[in-house]
Amino acid sequence: MTLSTASSSLRKRRKSTEHVDHHVGGGRRIGSHALLIILAIYFIVPLWWLLVSSTKSTSSLFSSAPLWFDHPADFIENVQGLFTHQGGIYWRWLGNSFFYALTGGIGATVLAILAGYGFAKYRFSGRGWVFGLILGSVMVPLTALVVPTFLLLSNVGLINTPWAVILPSLLSPFGVYLMRVYTQDAVPDEMLEAARIDGAGEFRTFVQVALPMMKPAVVTVLLLSVVATWNNFFLPLAMLNDPNLLPVTVGLNNWTKLSSTGAGGEQVWNLVTSGAFISVLPLLLSFLFLQRYWQGGLAIGSVK
Amino acid sequence: MNTKFFAALGVAALGAVTLTACSGNDSAEACTNKIVNKDATQVSVWAWYPAFEPVVDLFNQTHDDVQVCWTDAGVGDDEYSKFSTAIEAGSGAPDVIMLEAEVLPSFSIRDALVDLTAYGASDVAGDYPDGAWSDVKSGDAVYAIPVDGGPMGMLYRKDIFDKYGIAVPTTWAEFADAAQALKDAGAPGVLTDFPTNRRAYNQALFAQAGSAPFVYDSADPQTISIEVNDQGSKDVLAYWADLVDRGLVATDDASTADYNTKMVDGTYAVYVAAAWGPGYLSELSGADATAEWRAAPVPQWDADNPVQINWGGSAFAVTSQASDKDAAAIVAKEIFGTEEAWKIGIEEAALFPLWKPILESDYFANLEYPFFDGQQINKDVFLAAAAGYEGFTFSPFQNYAYDQLTEELSAVTRGEKSSDQALDDLQDTLVQYANDQGFTVN
Amino acid sequence: MATMTSPTHAKTSAEHEPSTVARRRHRTGWLFVIPFLAVFLLFLIIPLAYALWTSLFTSTLASGTEFTGLDNYAKAFTDPIFLEGMGRVGLFALVMIPLQIGVALLAALVLDTLATRLSQASRLLIFAPYAIPVVIGALMWSFLYSPSFGPASTLFDAFGLQAPEFLSTNLIFGSLVNIVTWQWSGYYMIVIYAGLRAINPSIYEAARVDGASGRQIALRIKVPMISSSMVMVLIFAIIGTLQFFTEPVVLRNVAPGVIDAAYTPNMYAYALAFQYSQFNYASTIAFSLGVLVFIGSYLFLYLTRKQSGLNR
Repeated sequence: MTLSTASSSLRKRRKSTEHVDHHVGGGRRIGSHALLIILAIYFIVPLWWLLVSSTKSTSSLFSSAPLWFDHPADFIENVQGLFTHQGGIYWRWLGNSFFYALTGGIGATVLAILAGYGFAKYRFSGRGWVFGLILGSVMVPLTALVVPTFLLLSNVGLINTPWAVILPSLLSPFGVYLMRVYTQDAVPDEMLEAARIDGAGEFRTFVQVALPMMKPAVVTVLLLSVVATWNNFFLPLAMLNDPNLLPVTVGLNNWTKLSSTGAGGEQVWNLVTSGAFISVLPLLLSFLFLQRYWQGGLAIGSVK
Repeated sequence: MNTKFFAALGVAALGAVTLTACSGNDSAEACTNKIVNKDATQVSVWAWYPAFEPVVDLFNQTHDDVQVCWTDAGVGDDEYSKFSTAIEAGSGAPDVIMLEAEVLPSFSIRDALVDLTAYGASDVAGDYPDGAWSDVKSGDAVYAIPVDGGPMGMLYRKDIFDKYGIAVPTTWAEFADAAQALKDAGAPGVLTDFPTNRRAYNQALFAQAGSAPFVYDSADPQTISIEVNDQGSKDVLAYWADLVDRGLVATDDASTADYNTKMVDGTYAVYVAAAWGPGYLSELSGADATAEWRAAPVPQWDADNPVQINWGGSAFAVTSQASDKDAAAIVAKEIFGTEEAWKIGIEEAALFPLWKPILESDYFANLEYPFFDGQQINKDVFLAAAAGYEGFTFSPFQNYAYDQLTEELSAVTRGEKSSDQALDDLQDTLVQYANDQGFTVN
Repeated sequence: MATMTSPTHAKTSAEHEPSTVARRRHRTGWLFVIPFLAVFLLFLIIPLAYALWTSLFTSTLASGTEFTGLDNYAKAFTDPIFLEGMGRVGLFALVMIPLQIGVALLAALVLDTLATRLSQASRLLIFAPYAIPVVIGALMWSFLYSPSFGPASTLFDAFGLQAPEFLSTNLIFGSLVNIVTWQWSGYYMIVIYAGLRAINPSIYEAARVDGASGRQIALRIKVPMISSSMVMVLIFAIIGTLQFFTEPVVLRNVAPGVIDAAYTPNMYAYALAFQYSQFNYASTIAFSLGVLVFIGSYLFLYLTRKQSGLNR
């Protein structure tokens, strides 16, 4: 059939270019590789620093050479510290991050899928300006919204609950844009027509015919939303007081502040560095293992 | 692609939900500590003291009718931002909140704090030194119960002083000489740091020369007097600007990783510190076994008329959103009102008590600090500093005032302005701001 | 941009449907859009309207709140702090965006011509910073920038040079540019790379037959063909840069004398609201910023309307 999915044909195309490009000249290859190595080093040095620092105790953090290990066994002490400090709240924070990122991410994706499909495949009056409004909303500075959102949520008693973080995270205007653009091109109207003629309702048509074809964009939007919610800082900082509800970004920031403050502070730099290191592992590892989906998915943005 | 991917996703989701299963119990009062008497009135408290949970437990075990529900809602400004937003929203604030004295006027002017005179504040007034008590008062109103203070002294590296033959300075003139002597002796570091971002610290230095920049009484909340460019402040700033110019002190920002490193490696031989400074220092300094720190009184401008100063310290205030103000007042008055609570506060949180029964006890005076090789720093330095401190009045826009102060001081250390000019500019800025905010400025 | 299947049959099927039925069917589109719109209304439109409303009032510490209409906006647009901040983020945009995109483009072009293990590993490493929350990234860099503590001094000493003071007034601009470039170039690189991968390779063949060199192919063929995705990337970069907030806020913890509370307009709005309790003026600043961002974006889109293909 002519109706191959966009992603598989993309993959086919990529493989074919890879095959062709092995004829690149030798000298240029070395130059290109050298450049890549330099770039890779630039991007990796801070992460390397994080790894090394997470194996140090607080005092050796400030006295030993920054880019090399001092007493690697300290890492075990640091991890123990993460389990005992403030009752092991660090792991709670990590769990919270997972929870918020997945619920927020999945929720945002569902809303974006529905809205994107609606904008793409239906020509209702007002579609243009509503979509424009949604796109324009990325220009609104977050600082304008925090206090009113706080007031709103406080009036319904949702401040200091997970909902205060999850609900606002459901908004992904960029996700709606991506889904619309992709669906417009990847889901042919004839197939929808065919389903309708067969007697299927709009929603069934959507689920059974359109949705399978939208998968690459779905994956992209899902990954982008999960990353965005995982890295979210300002929203939970403003909305949550209970330390048990904090995601790991805000939690680590609290510990940093605690270590920087004079009176009533505690020096927990070693926990900050090891906590930061462990907290970036889930996303880094998922990047590593889900590479295929990244490549395929982000093509959506460019294939207009 | 589908099954494996979504299976992984499902497992992760399941794992996350299990991990946070407990957080599903998100009652409005989610306490970090345990409630002992479930039928008693619960009072919510925000505080960031280290080792605070044992203190809370102690209170809960000894009070049948009131129980404390504590959360750490952030340190310093983070907590204040949340509090500020909660006040604006009309809900979300705790019953009792830990506040530093410098922000009390900022919150009392927004009617966020309860005047405790109606709730038995006078009963405990005698338990606190005059200076500390005046810090929590505004006119006749009492807005908080003091907890810990920051009377100032001078911590110095005995080993560095001995090595370069520096005598311990008792006056600021001697201090400048010591700084010069250290440089002349070829020491790699400097005598001390002059951080422009240590706001209350700089303010305290000015206060020592007689500066009382703000006159404000919450009974007459729309009137304020501002004088930040008094001669005392100008003299002090000129003194430090001179030391900076001569390269005798550093101008690093405080409380950064870099600053901590320099504390540890002896780049600064002196740390003009508050009484909580030793706690801060001892946690950092594990690495350098050869460092010998000692405490001495803070240098004076006039050896015959010593002026004691204070930097930091905190208190418990009852907020206007407290549902049971009597219970909240009881918590504020009594939570750090026992010897047992203070033993914890002193030994585990390195706080400096303002509660007289402990402050004036032999236990506290004779306390030997291993970090200072057993020196009894309270007896030697901080008790006199606390007793001699006379209090300070802050403005109701102190955060803004401090930010402007930091900017002006940075301009001085960068050589962009003279010290006199900086303080004059600061005066203009603050007067302008006060006028904009509707105050009548005298 | 080339697409898989062009839905040319759409019109024909619509022709078979009577228009009233068609219109009713199209209205069901609303049902799909409404869940998103509900959240959008609740968490964007309503707070925004409230913020706008707040900006029309003035509340002073000493006296109460009163309606002052557009006075706050007049104050904002003559406020030297706001204007200085705006100028600063404008400068950031002019410097940071070409740099990020430049690095991203260069990396993407290089990766597009290689297919080795090394290139695949590099691709991942360059993209990795995107996984780091900005707060943690800025924390890492604040340690790395530390004069006595970061690796810079050992590195520069090896060459007999004085390490630069990254956190000084002179260099803080560059230091911030560096953090953002480090964080975001990988993300932009991936987007551009994906666009490059979607180009039909037969075009390269044709060009090579005509005698074009690798560089000419890169500049004359590849770059123009991904111009639409570049424009999209650029517009988000512009919006993000003009709203510069998190990195300077985090870096302020280690350089408070150098980065003041109102370093960028977004920081100014935050300080006004959360530290000085001036909620009305804070809303005004935030809105003024939003207006300027809108104007800037619109201008940019207008200037690149040919390249972006957004005329549909």
